[in-house]
Amino acid sequence: MIIIAIAIGVIVSTYADSSTYGSFSDAQETQKELHVVGKLIKNKEMVYNPQQDANYFSFYMKDNKGKECKVVFTGSKPQDFERSEQIVLTGQMENGSFQANKILMKCPSKYTQDKIEVTEVKAQVKS
Amino acid sequence: MDTQFTGEHLLPGQLGQFFIVLSFGTSLIALFSYYFATISKDKLDTSWQKLGRLAYRLNLFVVICIGVCLFYIIYNHLFEYHYAWAHSSKTLPVYYIISCFWEGQEGSFWLWTFWQAVLGVILTFKAKTWENSVMTVVSFSQVFLASMILGVEIFGMKIGSSPFILLREAMDAPIFSRADYLTLIQDGNGLNPLLQNYWMVIHPPTLFLGFASMVVPFAYGVAALWEKRYSDWIKPAMPWTLFAVMILGTGIIMGSFWAYEALNFGGFWAWDPVENASIIPWLTLIAGVHVMLAYKNSGHSYFTALFLVLISFILVLYASFLTRSGILGETSVHAFTSAGMDIQLLTYLGVFFILPLVLIIINWKKLPITKKDEDTYSREFWLFIGAITLLVSCIQIIATTSIPVFNTIFGTEIAPPTNVIQHYNKWQIAFAFAIATISAFSQFLKYKKTDVRKFFISLIVSFVVAVILTGVIVYVTEIYQNVMYILLTWSAVFSILCNAKILGEALKGKWKLSGSAVAHIGFAFVLVGALIAAANNKIISVNNTGIGFGDEFAKSNNPRENIILYKNEPVKMNEYTVTYQGDSTSGVNTYYRVNYKVIDDKGVVKENFSLYPNAQQNAKMKQIVASPDTKHYLFHDVYTHVSSVPLKEEEHHEDHEGHSEDEEYQLPVVHEVSVGDTVRFRDGFAIVKAVNKNASIKDIPLTKDDVAIGMKLEVQSKNVTVETEPIFLIKGNAKVDFGKKVDELGLKFRFTNILPDKDKLELTVYEKPKAEKKDWIVMKAIVFPYINLLWGGTIIMIVGFILSIFRRAKEVK
Repeated sequence: MIIIAIAIGVIVSTYADSSTYGSFSDAQETQKELHVVGKLIKNKEMVYNPQQDANYFSFYMKDNKGKECKVVFTGSKPQDFERSEQIVLTGQMENGSFQANKILMKCPSKYTQDKIEVTEVKAQVKS
Repeated sequence: MDTQFTGEHLLPGQLGQFFIVLSFGTSLIALFSYYFATISKDKLDTSWQKLGRLAYRLNLFVVICIGVCLFYIIYNHLFEYHYAWAHSSKTLPVYYIISCFWEGQEGSFWLWTFWQAVLGVILTFKAKTWENSVMTVVSFSQVFLASMILGVEIFGMKIGSSPFILLREAMDAPIFSRADYLTLIQDGNGLNPLLQNYWMVIHPPTLFLGFASMVVPFAYGVAALWEKRYSDWIKPAMPWTLFAVMILGTGIIMGSFWAYEALNFGGFWAWDPVENASIIPWLTLIAGVHVMLAYKNSGHSYFTALFLVLISFILVLYASFLTRSGILGETSVHAFTSAGMDIQLLTYLGVFFILPLVLIIINWKKLPITKKDEDTYSREFWLFIGAITLLVSCIQIIATTSIPVFNTIFGTEIAPPTNVIQHYNKWQIAFAFAIATISAFSQFLKYKKTDVRKFFISLIVSFVVAVILTGVIVYVTEIYQNVMYILLTWSAVFSILCNAKILGEALKGKWKLSGSAVAHIGFAFVLVGALIAAANNKIISVNNTGIGFGDEFAKSNNPRENIILYKNEPVKMNEYTVTYQGDSTSGVNTYYRVNYKVIDDKGVVKENFSLYPNAQQNAKMKQIVASPDTKHYLFHDVYTHVSSVPLKEEEHHEDHEGHSEDEEYQLPVVHEVSVGDTVRFRDGFAIVKAVNKNASIKDIPLTKDDVAIGMKLEVQSKNVTVETEPIFLIKGNAKVDFGKKVDELGLKFRFTNILPDKDKLELTVYEKPKAEKKDWIVMKAIVFPYINLLWGGTIIMIVGFILSIFRRAKEVK
């Protein structure tokens, strides 16, 4: 019986610990850390200048509701960032920009996607 | 219309596909033969058993043939096959071709099938009276695994995914309308660079051997219920259970060592769902081993033992569903994408869940479950409590890992905890504390009944010594910031002391009895090592200089963990003086030489070593894939990886239209000089030595009216002296000048004018900006203290398991 009680306690607290998915608008209303899912806006400025600061990376993201926001990440720019299809950010709003503590990317990885590199093929045809 | 394709090698694929169908067939025959052998009333008639044996041994042979065909295809770079194209490339070294095997889902299923075939064949020799029923269950599982790579369509449903599918069947692209499409495909996609590591050659086979061997205790459990031989399955299943636990444990630790050595997330365990998926069944089976012992020696905990053994294999299947179905989605960094076999995986899971469930319900009343409670001072009671603690710790891991599953089932949108690692650690440290403590004192308890006074007397010494030692350890390793850390350290030390005492006694008597003590000591070392290394790893590459975005950072509590190093400019990090000394490229990898020196107050170099963290550059993709390098000391490791490097292509970008090459330089400085003058610039100076009135210019013929004047310069910068001669030319009415570049110093000189009225010459100096001239890397360095306790503990634990396996295997005979 005690064991069952502990097990239930464990599960309940797991869900108390869990966070929620939200949008940038939700993030503005709360102080809690949120998960925001969205896409990188590729034609807006992306700043990573290691010569000035190796731990500052900023970019613009559009969340799933279509809202754009500047995102600041304290750390180096993740590898393969430009090619990300989807980004999941963890963090909170601070002074109008989203302060991300963690960035998780879904990439159309070269190694998992079935896409023949057509450019290479074309070059071969010419020669 | 059928196109005749040229250059394809269809034979190995067709052969392979034939073997796949044959492996499915032989496992099916083995299943039915063993089934009829088990239910046969006539125990003297062994014809079914013989057929089953033959079929299963043939199955192993056929499975090996599949592997040979696949290896042939990858080894010969037959890119007409999707598997070879997707997972290998021509530049791949031979030993990594093995890793290609298990990069894809099909290959890893094959690996699992292979191990299950090997284990099954061993059982056909060793299982004796249990052979028929146990092999029925194993064959049944083999049928499911074989179906995973079948790749045929039955009634419009695709069963399995074959590794022998052709590229042109796997996808649509215009090039496949050409008969000679193969000539257009020059190379495969290649192996993910992160998997190009020797640990990746041995980690997956070990892990899958662990997974595969868990079917054996499961099969014994099911067979026991089926044949109603409720009790005597424990003994023969015991060595197998220990074997499964040992191998899976080794596989998990290998994976974490690989992550530590080859991945740059900076640690050895990240509570990623894929890692969790492998540790969950391990924990339940470890718990299972302990209650099996309790039942064997005391008759208590029968149901718990049976349940844990059965659930462990079911959890293996659940884990493969999690990692292979793509359901984990964005919660995991390295989950597989779906191969469209979700339904098949779920069927496998469902059948192997319902089968034992039904058998338990049928046999429930006859199961040897004791009504009597265990004595509190008995070993069986605490074995039971320990197992339950492990189970609850598992439930916690499953609950959090399964959040995306619940989201899918109930349509909810719960996100995982924001700080996953902290979330798990909070719980698991408490569980680890309980388990280590129990593993310490329960060694002094006897089965059935213990003399309470003796028990406490033997404990008190270890208890007190553990408290003192913990004080010392906590002080030395500086982990006093958290009460739970101190408690866990104490429990682990306590466990080491108690088990060492048992070990000492065992050594006087029979050495075989020492297995459990050794394994427990190893486990306790793993706990201490993991705790100290994880709790107290210190990022030494803290950036104190890079300011420039101050305001936005002010509130952030994130430490700045990356630091920029310019070539040959030493930076002080803790006791180390760190210098980036250059890079070298070998194959696809670029190695960055980072030199660490420890210099004491007197300027004497006490330590001097270089690390070579590497990065694979892919200029086309504008990305790097970095791998760390680590200096191992006995008591700590210095771990370094690059986070960002200048991409190689940037160094020789072409001049495109609209840009003059002068843009590379800073704004030019114009000087008016005479012979003998000195012109200063940032890193040095130039002396105007002489004027050459008879200068000649390559490729431009000079007539009598033309005037070409050279200015002889001596340039001194950075201990280098270079002579150069920019030229000024008056041709007809036009003034032209020919500048000279001094590339090694990043300088350019132009003789731009002659000013006769001032009797001066005009010299324009161009200088490249400082930073661009220099190579740099951004890196991160972490010191992991006492991490060798973790790896060393693992080895001790494995030794303990091996000792135990020998002991239990002897008991069977």
